[in-house]
Amino acid sequence: MGEIIRLENVYTTYEGEKRPAIRNINLSAHSNEFIYVVGPNAAGKTTLLETINGLLPPSGGRVHVFGQDVRKNGRKVRCDIGYVPQDFIVDPGEPYTALDIVLMGMYGKIGILRRPDRRDFNKAIETMRSLGVDKLANQPMGKLSGGQQQKVMIARALAKEPKLLLLDEPFSNLDIDSRQRIPSFIGRLHEEKGITTIIVTHDVGQILKQCNRVVIMNNGETITDEKLAEDTPPLKELYQILRVEVPG
Amino acid sequence: MIWLELAIMQRALIGCILAGLLTGLLGVFVVKMKLSSMGYCMSHGAFAGAALGVAMAVNPLTTAFIFSSITAFFIGPVADKARLHADVITSIIFPLNMALAFVFLTLSPEVGLKSEVANVLWGSVLSIAYYDLVYLTLICTITLALIFLFWKELFAIMFERKLAEADGINTKPFIYFIIFLAGVVVTLSLKLVGGLLIFALLFNPASTALQFANNMKKIVFVSPIIGAITCVSGLFVSLFLDLPVGSCIVLVSTLVFALAVLFSPKRRRKGVPAYAD
Repeated sequence: MGEIIRLENVYTTYEGEKRPAIRNINLSAHSNEFIYVVGPNAAGKTTLLETINGLLPPSGGRVHVFGQDVRKNGRKVRCDIGYVPQDFIVDPGEPYTALDIVLMGMYGKIGILRRPDRRDFNKAIETMRSLGVDKLANQPMGKLSGGQQQKVMIARALAKEPKLLLLDEPFSNLDIDSRQRIPSFIGRLHEEKGITTIIVTHDVGQILKQCNRVVIMNNGETITDEKLAEDTPPLKELYQILRVEVPG
Repeated sequence: MIWLELAIMQRALIGCILAGLLTGLLGVFVVKMKLSSMGYCMSHGAFAGAALGVAMAVNPLTTAFIFSSITAFFIGPVADKARLHADVITSIIFPLNMALAFVFLTLSPEVGLKSEVANVLWGSVLSIAYYDLVYLTLICTITLALIFLFWKELFAIMFERKLAEADGINTKPFIYFIIFLAGVVVTLSLKLVGGLLIFALLFNPASTALQFANNMKKIVFVSPIIGAITCVSGLFVSLFLDLPVGSCIVLVSTLVFALAVLFSPKRRRKGVPAYAD
C-alpha cells in the first residue's frame, strides 16, 4: 500500500495565537485506508484536516501528501483532494445553483483556461444522482435545506474523483434516513475505488464498518491511533480508558 | 434636444454609458469577493492622485492612475506579505488617501473649488475628452476578455475563496487582478462622477442586480446595464436641474437600489420553506 499522507512532528498555530491548535502530530495514512478522527470540541480535528490539505500552513514539522510537500505543491495536491468543510451553509440569497457548486469542485482539476465540458457536467449530475440530489441541480443552493446542502457539498467533493477524501463532520445536518444512506454510500465508494478517506466526527456512534482505523484527538494531540481489529475495545470504552469526555 | 447634437454632450453620453457598463460589471466581482472596503481605498487613492495632478499642473488622469496602482499594490500583495488583515490595511490607507487629497488640494489654492479641483471632487461632463472615451473602450474590451477567459476561477472565488483554494485554484492573482482593475476603472470614471462618489458606482448597480437574479451569469449581464442606465439618467437629471453630474448619478443609482430592495422577489420569497426532501 502506497503512502498517501505523512505528517512528522506537525504543529499548527493560528495567526495571533501563542498556543498551537495541534501539537506534535505524527500520522501516516496509506492508500485504501478509512480513518475516523474523533474527539471532543476544540480537539484540533478540523485544524488537522486543513493542515493536511495545506489550507493552514504548519508552524512546525513536515506535511507530505501524495509524496509532495504541501507547502510547496499545495495547489497541485489539492486538485486530488475532495474536501467537505464543517457546517458550510449557503445564504438563501446567494445566486448559485446546486449544480454550480458541484461543478466548482472540479475547476482546479480541470485547469486554467479550460471550460467544463459535457463529460464534466455528466460526471457532476451522475454524482448528484448517487446522493439523491440530482433533481435539485438547478435550484438555488441557498434555498435547499441544511441536509440537502450537505449532500451537495459531498457531491462536490466526490465529483472531482479524488484520491483522498477529507470530510469534516459530513453527516451532521443529515436526516435519519440520509444518515444511514450517505455514510454507507461513502463506505461503498471507498471499497470500490479505494479512495483514502478521513472523516472527522465527534459522534462516536457513527463509525462505519469500512473504517479500519480510529485516531482520537484531545487538546490538539493524538492520544491514540488504533487499527481496528476484533479485539479493539468499543470507542466509548476507549474514551473512558483515556478519560476523555465522551462527546455527543 | 438640440444640445445632444453638441460634440461635448455626445462625449458625455458615451462616457456615461461606458463608465456605467464598466463599473457595473466590475462591481459584481468587488461586491461578491467582499472587496468593498478596498474599493473605497482605490477610489480615494485615485482622488488623491488626481488632486496631486491638479496641484502639479499635470494630467490628473496620469497621477490618479499612479496613485490607484500604488494603493492596489499596498492593499493587495504588500498587505498579504505583511499578513495584515484587509480591515486593518484599508482602515489605514483610506484616511491616508483622503488626507493626501486634501493636502494636495490646498497646494493649489489659485484654482480654488471652481475649476479642475471641483471636477476632481464632484465630476463634470464638460471634462470628458475624446481620449477618455478611447481609454474607457479599451479597458472595457480588456475587462470583458479577461472575465470571459477566467470566468470559472472568478466564479469559484466569488462563491467562497477558501473553498476555491481547497479545490486547487490559486486565488491570489485573481483577487489582485480585480483590485488593480478596480483602480483603473475608478481612475477612468473619476472625471464623470468625481473622487468622493465614484465608489458608489462600483457598488450600487451590482447590489441592485443582486436583489433580483438567482443566477450569477444573469447578474453579471444585468449589473452593467443598470450601471449604464443609472449613469445616463443621472446625466439627464444633472442637465435638467443644473446640478453636479456625479451627485445626480449617485442619487439616481441609490434610488434604483432602494426600489430594488423594496420590490426584490428574493425578499418576497422570505419564509418559503426549503425544497422538500
